[in-house]
Amino acid sequence: MAFWKRSESPQPERPAPAAADDLFGEAFLAKLELLQVIARRLFRGKQRAERKTRKVGNGLEFADHREYSPGDDIRNLDWGVLMRLEQTLVRLYEEDEDLPIRIAVDISDSMSTSGGSKLRYAQQVAAALAYVGLANLDRVGLTCMSRKLHTTLPAVRGKGRIFRVFDFLRTAPRGGPTDMRAACGRLAAESAQPGLTVVLSDFYDLQGAFDGLNLLRFRKHEPVAIQVIDPREAHPELSGLRGDVTLVDVEGGDAREVTLSPAALRAYADAHEKFCQALAASCRSRGIPYFRAETSVPFDELVLRMFRVGGLLR
Amino acid sequence: MTLSGWTWPEILPVFAAGAAAITALYLLRMRRRQVVVPFAALWQQVTRESDTRRLWKKLRRLLSWLLQLVLLALLCAALGDPRPDSWLRDPQTVAIVVDRSASVAGPAAGEPGLTRLDVLLRRARAELAGLGPTDRALVIAAGAEVEVPGPLGRDAAPLLRALDGIVPGPGEADLGRALALARAALAGQAGGRILVLTDGALDEAAGDALATCISGHVSSDSPDAAAIPCQVARAGGPADNLALVAFAARRYPGDRERIEVLAEVHNLGDGPASAVLEVQADGLVVGRQAVQLGPGERRREVLRELDAARTRLVANLSLEPGADPQQLGPPDDDRAYAVVPPLPPFKVVLVTDGSDLFLEAALLTLQEHIQLTGVGPADAASHPSLAEADLVIIDVGDRPLPDPLPPGDLVIFDPARVAPDAAPIRGAGELVRPFLTEQHREHPLLDGVVLKDVNLRRGTRLATEPGDTVLVRSLGEPLVVLRHELGGDGRRPRAVLALGFDPRQTDLPLRTAFPILVANIIGYFEQARPGFVASVPVGPSRPVAAAEIGLGAQDLTQVEVRGPEPADSPSTVPVDATGVFRLRAMQPGIYRVRAVDGAAAGAEVLVAVNQASVAASDLHDRLGELPPAALAGEAAAPVPVRDEPLWALLLLAAALLIAIEWATYHRRVTV
Repeated sequence: MAFWKRSESPQPERPAPAAADDLFGEAFLAKLELLQVIARRLFRGKQRAERKTRKVGNGLEFADHREYSPGDDIRNLDWGVLMRLEQTLVRLYEEDEDLPIRIAVDISDSMSTSGGSKLRYAQQVAAALAYVGLANLDRVGLTCMSRKLHTTLPAVRGKGRIFRVFDFLRTAPRGGPTDMRAACGRLAAESAQPGLTVVLSDFYDLQGAFDGLNLLRFRKHEPVAIQVIDPREAHPELSGLRGDVTLVDVEGGDAREVTLSPAALRAYADAHEKFCQALAASCRSRGIPYFRAETSVPFDELVLRMFRVGGLLR
Repeated sequence: MTLSGWTWPEILPVFAAGAAAITALYLLRMRRRQVVVPFAALWQQVTRESDTRRLWKKLRRLLSWLLQLVLLALLCAALGDPRPDSWLRDPQTVAIVVDRSASVAGPAAGEPGLTRLDVLLRRARAELAGLGPTDRALVIAAGAEVEVPGPLGRDAAPLLRALDGIVPGPGEADLGRALALARAALAGQAGGRILVLTDGALDEAAGDALATCISGHVSSDSPDAAAIPCQVARAGGPADNLALVAFAARRYPGDRERIEVLAEVHNLGDGPASAVLEVQADGLVVGRQAVQLGPGERRREVLRELDAARTRLVANLSLEPGADPQQLGPPDDDRAYAVVPPLPPFKVVLVTDGSDLFLEAALLTLQEHIQLTGVGPADAASHPSLAEADLVIIDVGDRPLPDPLPPGDLVIFDPARVAPDAAPIRGAGELVRPFLTEQHREHPLLDGVVLKDVNLRRGTRLATEPGDTVLVRSLGEPLVVLRHELGGDGRRPRAVLALGFDPRQTDLPLRTAFPILVANIIGYFEQARPGFVASVPVGPSRPVAAAEIGLGAQDLTQVEVRGPEPADSPSTVPVDATGVFRLRAMQPGIYRVRAVDGAAAGAEVLVAVNQASVAASDLHDRLGELPPAALAGEAAAPVPVRDEPLWALLLLAAALLIAIEWATYHRRVTV
């Protein structure tokens, strides 16, 4: 007897496109202004376009040594090492350049469950980050991605472009399964210039959740992972779910008949927590900033926390 | 079980409809709710363990469905209001007569470790358990005394408690009185029935009473007794039993400081048996002897020359090491008690003309333990002391013998001097100057007596008969003869010693042999007197003569009786004009009897009470074949509840099932 049955083309609940008053209304804009003031105070004294890239070039700050090869500028030869060790090493310097900000929002079906709270939350965080970036005269681009859909807002600069960001987020199509590896690969491929890439997703992709982030890092991006979590999904016992049910994946796939006992619900909550901790541990081991964003926490608090912890904006 | 509410044709459609509805609801319940989740892969990891129990889960669902059907079946059965058949039949009144005689302490057949009484009580409990709510019962315990431990009632609990208190008692079952009591209790009761529970080892009287009850020939003083059926349920077993059927002690007349003990052991079993007989006096072992008896054999053992300072004697039968413990049977007859009785004076009447002073002198020397009365030949036929005499010595010289002769033991000197046929031992001719040539030296009468060279002027040759013992001969002619015969009354045996010479015509009185011969004669007849005082048999009302147990009966109107240790409070018993009182002796042992008033007021004597009954110790079933109608079948099937209707119980069971199902459902056990 097959434990899994093909689901009868379940129709995931799709939230209606949020109205502008709901997503980016007056209250939202007021919070963005407040964020901007706070960000300005935090980043006072910093120069624009001072973000350090991993690119080694003609900057002033020493980065590394490498073997001399013909054609290298002889001025960069480290004479001290040559005299002491009789090795011809070339000094390398970090190159300072303008670093674009790319904000990627996961629009897969898994983000639309529970009334679309996760997607709405991700859009608000993306809009807030974009607003702060634009206010700091950074070049900010947005991408909405899933395995099936991939729409991109080219990088824009200037605070006045924020409404284009709003329109993009509001009108972007949504749906399709989660495939972080494919989505991030496409994102990296279409980004001519690597930069700070903020990925907003629930990362409900057992195989590719971290691979996508690692791929961005491999392509010289500086990824930042923000995992959006609905507490009712992380702790299903809070939703009153129990008994004999058929579980259907929102992104399609096999249906599964299970009996949800309190023990099973606790086991799921534990497994979910372990999954999140494994993702966080993988990110930290490779220097990828990771933030857990629960939809029960107001988005502006999350953004401020990200500012305070650092590593995302400066 | 009978339905007194809805009938099966009415119940079955309801059950079918309910079962269909339950099945439909069950199928609906099997449809699962669809829940859309964002991360099914993680759910798959979590629920992988529960997949392994999927088959069990399906089975549990099936069990849950069956549980609902059982629930429905209980409710439908409640509609039928089922009642056991015993509830619907006519009311019955049962008198359960339990035999608690000594024999029911014997082992039961095929029930190791259980006695016959255990089996009988089990049968009684089964009978009580099968009674319906309108039935009534009473329990009668038939031992030596009849008791009613469980009076007539509907409630089985006090009757069951009464059964717990029934234990085997000594003696035989007084079934006659028990059955009469049962008939009286059932008189006028609807559906009366007597159930006799016995092992069949009954004495003749009990067997007759039971046979009468079974056959319906009951006394006319019970108005409807003929209508009361009487049934018997038996529980027999092995009949092996060694019993002490007699145990007594007596003093030696010539030596009051010594006693003699008699014990009689009877093998009532069907095979040979052996045991050790041990006699204790005041707790000290004074005799021990191994006895081996064949089937049905009875043996007397006498322990002689014991110290008379000890007054309480106990005999025990015990097994030899390795012997079969079933040989001894019930314990009541393996122990017996005895007390050393007082020795009454030996009453000797001397019929003489007063001319034989040597004989009188020899008798006077024995007056410590004899009571000598002299009677002249003229009064010898009618003197009142002759009737009470233990021994009459007739020495009348040339006078004729009294006619008639006293009926008791006799010693006659020269019986055929006047008339050859005047005495039981006739004369066969006169002997002139006989010589005493032959003497039976081993006979106790001649112990230490030397008759050599005794001179006789004349004598009488005695005629002997078969069975006579010739003690002295004169050249082959019998001169002194001892004969045992029936007494003058033709009922009581007696001994007659005839000496074929007149002491006055010999020089024997001048010799030392004469007083020895007289003492031997007195001792011989004293020893021949029974002397052993039989113990009182167990029973509720045993007549005891105060004089026989050594208590002065003069002016005695009350005695105080105290039972064996541990003694209860004493009871006062009236004594009738003849000096006889009734002793309630329900337990073997040594009782104390004290004179409350009369000449012997304050005097206390001991009385031994023993089972000592062959009938009570015989474990054989003596009932024989009974008519089939008299045999009680198996008890009715027990009814789980007595007074409450069963439909209430069914509803209770249904409610209990609902509660269990509800509790387990919420714990995800039955889902």
